[in-house]
Amino acid sequence: MKKTLKIKILASFMLLVAMLAAAGAISLAEFRWLSNSVHGLIEDNYRSIEASKTMVEALEREDSGILLLMLGEWREGRQILRSADSLFMASFEVARNNLTEENEQEHIRQIQESYQAYKSSWERPIEDTDKQGNLSWYKEEAHKKFMQAKLAVDGLMSLNQSSMYDEASELKERSKRALMPGIVSIVAAVVFSLVLNFFIARYFVNPLSELAEAVNSFKDGDKSLRSNITSNDEIKELEEAISDLLHRMASNQNEAKP
Amino acid sequence: MKKEIIIKHLGYVLLLNGLFLLISFLISLFLGESSTIALLFSGLICAIFGVFPLIFVERTEHVNFGEGLSIVVFGWLLTCVVGMLPYIMWGGEFTLANAWFESVSGFTTTGATVLVEIESLPKGILFWRSSTHWIGGVGIILFVMLVLPQSKGQRLSVYNAEISSLSKMNFRFEARRIVRILAVVYLSLTLLETVALMLFGMSFFDAINHSFATIATGGFSTKNLSVAAYDSVAIEVIIMVFMLLSGMHFGLIYGTVMLKKENIFTSSLAKTFLLVMLAGVALVTAKLYLAGTYDFWTSLRFASFQVISLGTTTGFATEDSAHWPIFTQVVLIYFTIQCGMTGSTSGGLKFDRVYIFFQSIGKQVKLLKHPQGIFISKVDGKVIDDKLEQQTLVFIVLYIVVFFTSTALLTAMDLDGMTAFSASIATIGNVGPGFEKVSSLGNFSTIPDLGKYVLSINMLLGRLEIFNVIALIMLKRH
Repeated sequence: MKKTLKIKILASFMLLVAMLAAAGAISLAEFRWLSNSVHGLIEDNYRSIEASKTMVEALEREDSGILLLMLGEWREGRQILRSADSLFMASFEVARNNLTEENEQEHIRQIQESYQAYKSSWERPIEDTDKQGNLSWYKEEAHKKFMQAKLAVDGLMSLNQSSMYDEASELKERSKRALMPGIVSIVAAVVFSLVLNFFIARYFVNPLSELAEAVNSFKDGDKSLRSNITSNDEIKELEEAISDLLHRMASNQNEAKP
Repeated sequence: MKKEIIIKHLGYVLLLNGLFLLISFLISLFLGESSTIALLFSGLICAIFGVFPLIFVERTEHVNFGEGLSIVVFGWLLTCVVGMLPYIMWGGEFTLANAWFESVSGFTTTGATVLVEIESLPKGILFWRSSTHWIGGVGIILFVMLVLPQSKGQRLSVYNAEISSLSKMNFRFEARRIVRILAVVYLSLTLLETVALMLFGMSFFDAINHSFATIATGGFSTKNLSVAAYDSVAIEVIIMVFMLLSGMHFGLIYGTVMLKKENIFTSSLAKTFLLVMLAGVALVTAKLYLAGTYDFWTSLRFASFQVISLGTTTGFATEDSAHWPIFTQVVLIYFTIQCGMTGSTSGGLKFDRVYIFFQSIGKQVKLLKHPQGIFISKVDGKVIDDKLEQQTLVFIVLYIVVFFTSTALLTAMDLDGMTAFSASIATIGNVGPGFEKVSSLGNFSTIPDLGKYVLSINMLLGRLEIFNVIALIMLKRH
């Protein structure tokens, strides 16, 4: 196929467009992934971490409630226990419906079991029983079960925190990767422009200057129209047409002479 | 010198890189790895810049010496730049300095790595890493095709000396035939080693990667512990055989297979190369055994692998030689300096120059005894003239200057003497591993970034043979 100037210029710009389009598409895809990941990070891990924190807070309030009951403050103690229990259960439901990590189900089961055991220790009456004021019961049973439930919740929180850290590191790496095609294509486009400039000068501007020089030489008496055009495009056609025209003009002049 | 011809050939170089990046991309895509986009975009850049000159530059038949030299020197620099694109785009351990170092080390077939966790790299990146070795090896063949047929003066005479054992034909007019021979040998050795390694239990992926690294005398492995990770005598023997073959003149291998008169068994150069290697193995084995480092067979096993690996500039390892007796390290350093034969894919000083160097010493000793006598040096029956001897000596001096300068620069960066010395000699010789911090089972990660750039220059000078860089600068000045 004959490579005309039109084809050469079009092909060059198409290459540049292809490179920039690819860089744009890749960066867009990466940024979209990043946006989804950030959303996922908030939706998945952060929600479970917040629920875990609330569960720990509720457990600590329940512990205070038990101590109040042991001191005979049964009305206030029961009130605190009831509100802390409903707070714990609401947060537990959030965590249970937000299973996003491997082994998270196992942590939920452990929380459920340990909390049931803890709850059973304060659900039954404490006031006016031998448990009231009994510090060794508190230490051996209530506080032990409280610590077990707290440990189970901490396990869930650690799992989500470490996963969040890993994902944040991955996000950092991916954000760098999302930027790289843009940076590389900017540098590549600069290099491309320099090379294109060289080719335009070498294959378009120089032949035209040579042709102009050859025509000027013809005017000055050199009838050979010597130019160094080696390409097989419109400039070569122009050179041939001018050569032909000048040839005919020279022939007509010769014929016109008496 | 026509710039458009140089640009067009640089385009071909980029297209070859693009082809291997495409294969690496397909591996990553198939395995769903994180390097898929980095490899795809790098391949695309190579393809676009490779096709671009073809749109403008018309068909060209003739490439003169200056153009050929420019293509080779700039081609190597360009491939090193595009070679680091997948690394830098993927990230991980690859900072700018690390990506540049790893890319230069790959293309110059040095095999020195800055990576600590090689096995955690995506398979696509691992394949690209090994491919840089293989492309570097192809580059050496292109070097023979583009530069040597047109070269005048010292280059041709050196290569005439090398090729003299191969045939009496005029090298200038038979260059294409020789390139075909080299290409056939290069491809055949790669395929044969891949099959042989697979037969002894290596996976196809590992086999082809190690094969790429062996035939190009590179040394990149897919394992953190290099070849030691396989702990297999059979695999070590196969790799040793192919390292030895890759360190020898490819034309002689072709001659041996085709039962030609010029072959490994008739070439005095090849026989001496093998004998020196054998002596090295014997010395290291004896010292390791007598020092009580290992039992006899283990000493022989580790010594032979290490001597052949360094003596052919490959750089694979089966044991950390940093803890070996100092005598064995001195022997290994000699092989790091000596390097493989010319006409092979090994870099550095080259055995042929060492051979001519010792011959000229012999000649000088004879001249001291008989000042009026006329003595001639010969390589495989061909006379080595005084001019070639002088050029060889100048090359060796230049080699020492570069090596000494880089050692001084590294010590200025507070690196210990042995690390600086061995890293410099191992990179200018395109060998790979040195001693101390950069030992055979270690890596170059502890070298400061500036040191990595210094060592990259060493690798490029070692691969481009110093003289070519000087020749290019001289050409530009005129």
